[in-house]
Amino acid sequence: MMGASLSRWTMSCFAAALVAFVAAQALMVAGYGYPAAPLRAPETLLVVHLVAIGWLSLLMMGALFQFVPVLVAKPLRDPALVLPAVLCVLCGLAFLLAGFLQMAGAIEPGLPVLAWGGGLLVCGFSLSIWLLAHTLWQARPLGLSARFVATGLASLAAAMALGLAFALALSGIVDLPFAVALDQRAVPFHATAGIAGWLTFTAIGVTYRLLPMFMLSPEGDRAISRAGWLLGSAALALVVVAAPAAAFAGAGERTVALIVLAAGLCGCAAVALYGIDLAWLYRKRKRRAVELNIRASAGAFAALLLALLLLLALAATGGLAEHAGALVYLVAFGWLSGLGLSQLYKIVPFLTWLECYGPVMGRKPTPRVQDLVVERRDTGWFVLYFLGVYAGTAALLAGWPELFRLAAAATLAATLALVVEFVLARRLANVAAASRLPEGTRLPRLFIAGQRQG
Amino acid sequence: MTQPHRDLDVRPILKAGGEPFSVIMEAVAALAPGQSLRLLASFKPLPLFQVLGARGFQPAAREIGGGDWEVIFTPIAAAAEAAPAPAAAKPATGDDWPEPVAEDDCRELDPPEPMVRTLEAVERLAPGQTVAALLPREPVFLFEELEARGHRWRGAPLEDGGYRVVIRAGGGQGGAS
Repeated sequence: MMGASLSRWTMSCFAAALVAFVAAQALMVAGYGYPAAPLRAPETLLVVHLVAIGWLSLLMMGALFQFVPVLVAKPLRDPALVLPAVLCVLCGLAFLLAGFLQMAGAIEPGLPVLAWGGGLLVCGFSLSIWLLAHTLWQARPLGLSARFVATGLASLAAAMALGLAFALALSGIVDLPFAVALDQRAVPFHATAGIAGWLTFTAIGVTYRLLPMFMLSPEGDRAISRAGWLLGSAALALVVVAAPAAAFAGAGERTVALIVLAAGLCGCAAVALYGIDLAWLYRKRKRRAVELNIRASAGAFAALLLALLLLLALAATGGLAEHAGALVYLVAFGWLSGLGLSQLYKIVPFLTWLECYGPVMGRKPTPRVQDLVVERRDTGWFVLYFLGVYAGTAALLAGWPELFRLAAAATLAATLALVVEFVLARRLANVAAASRLPEGTRLPRLFIAGQRQG
Repeated sequence: MTQPHRDLDVRPILKAGGEPFSVIMEAVAALAPGQSLRLLASFKPLPLFQVLGARGFQPAAREIGGGDWEVIFTPIAAAAEAAPAPAAAKPATGDDWPEPVAEDDCRELDPPEPMVRTLEAVERLAPGQTVAALLPREPVFLFEELEARGHRWRGAPLEDGGYRVVIRAGGGQGGAS
């Protein structure tokens, strides 16, 4: 029953996230990190965390600060904590990246920067989890989307805790034999909690609301969606809690492997159910011609499906350890980043439109949301992006690093073009000058949403 | 306050996973003039404060243990004065909300068109008139805008997943707060 206002810092999060995404892809084009360096080399870790925290996590945080209050029809709790949370994550990321540079021998800061980074990231993410979880908590019983987001937040807490343990261990604050043991056994759990739990689960939760909204499909708690959530949550609990606990309790490799296998089966089933649900939502849509954000998302859903098939194929042939990099790349760039870019293409114009034209809506003619972008011009950039990701995955599997750099250049070019489009949308540059700013409106600022004067 | 409270316990409905909103609204509509409603719920029903506040009720909430809450909604004198017609004249609503001048079905429009159409309809109203709209979902951004413009609203989810809202045009100053 409550109104939801525009989240003040969401655009700032999106801007910082896009800067990190461009920087990470520029490093990949330059041949920094995997596949030129090993998968666990500090150079690779730098690129991975720039993508996972700088791009994907900030993108998701910005989206959730706006989206969770809309989802549960309650105002965000403690909105004053949003800015400190974002600043802690940004500073923590900077220290973390410096820590990886220190591990790589590129700089000698004379400080345990990795531990500082871990600490600051824990502060930033904990604040974010607190205010989002607190907002969700007031809205129990939770709907489908909110449940996915809640599981995502729990996974973020797990990924964060393991990450802090690594940062302390690698900084020498915890003794070395423990650090080595931790690093060798727990890295896959940390990555799974972050990529499959926090990022994937939250993204699925967001799509369960956004897709029906923009395709005019029926919304609601269907049994198949709930089963997907339960199976996925079970998979995460097994891999994030049970498997590490068993490993550290001294259980044999075989026990841990069985737990991971069970988790994998549950996870694959959850993704399959999600795919069936997506097809159902698409078939039931009342809007025949869908917009570019939905069409582009199809590239991301295809990447998720391909990643599932690749995981099964690699697990069956025993190539998982060798090709884990290609699998993670496909999930992070095809599914998560592809979905992120596709949805930004709708979210940025939508929030900008609401911010600019909300005050005069119904009183004066306003442009349509679609007028803020030029879909015809941008379809090609999404095609280029997804072709780049698929080619990059193939290049990693085949062991062709030069082709991978070329593919990264393609995704970088597409990303830069879309960033330009987001800026143009924010500046209302695609709206005809005559109807751009009716009396009573003003041009939104690029990075900070204006607040309504009641 | 010479009359006893009217009691309504919605905890069984909430425990069964139901939506008590319509029951509460029926109870409110059936209140005698000046009578207050004593509501028992398994959480602090903050959204109701807004809805019933817009209808001239003052909430007084206290936790009664086990996570349950007792809230007494008392009609405030200002609301009674503002009512142009006696409650008995309109048993269906029992307050100063006239029948909607129109009902617009926006459920099959692309966002944000439902919000635009509804606000256009609201802008055509004279102060005190109401208009109804059927929307695809609970319109949180619309509520924000209505509040900024000083209009009041009441809404409830529809059985098929949509949302029906009735908006009463304010006189140009703060209404639902």
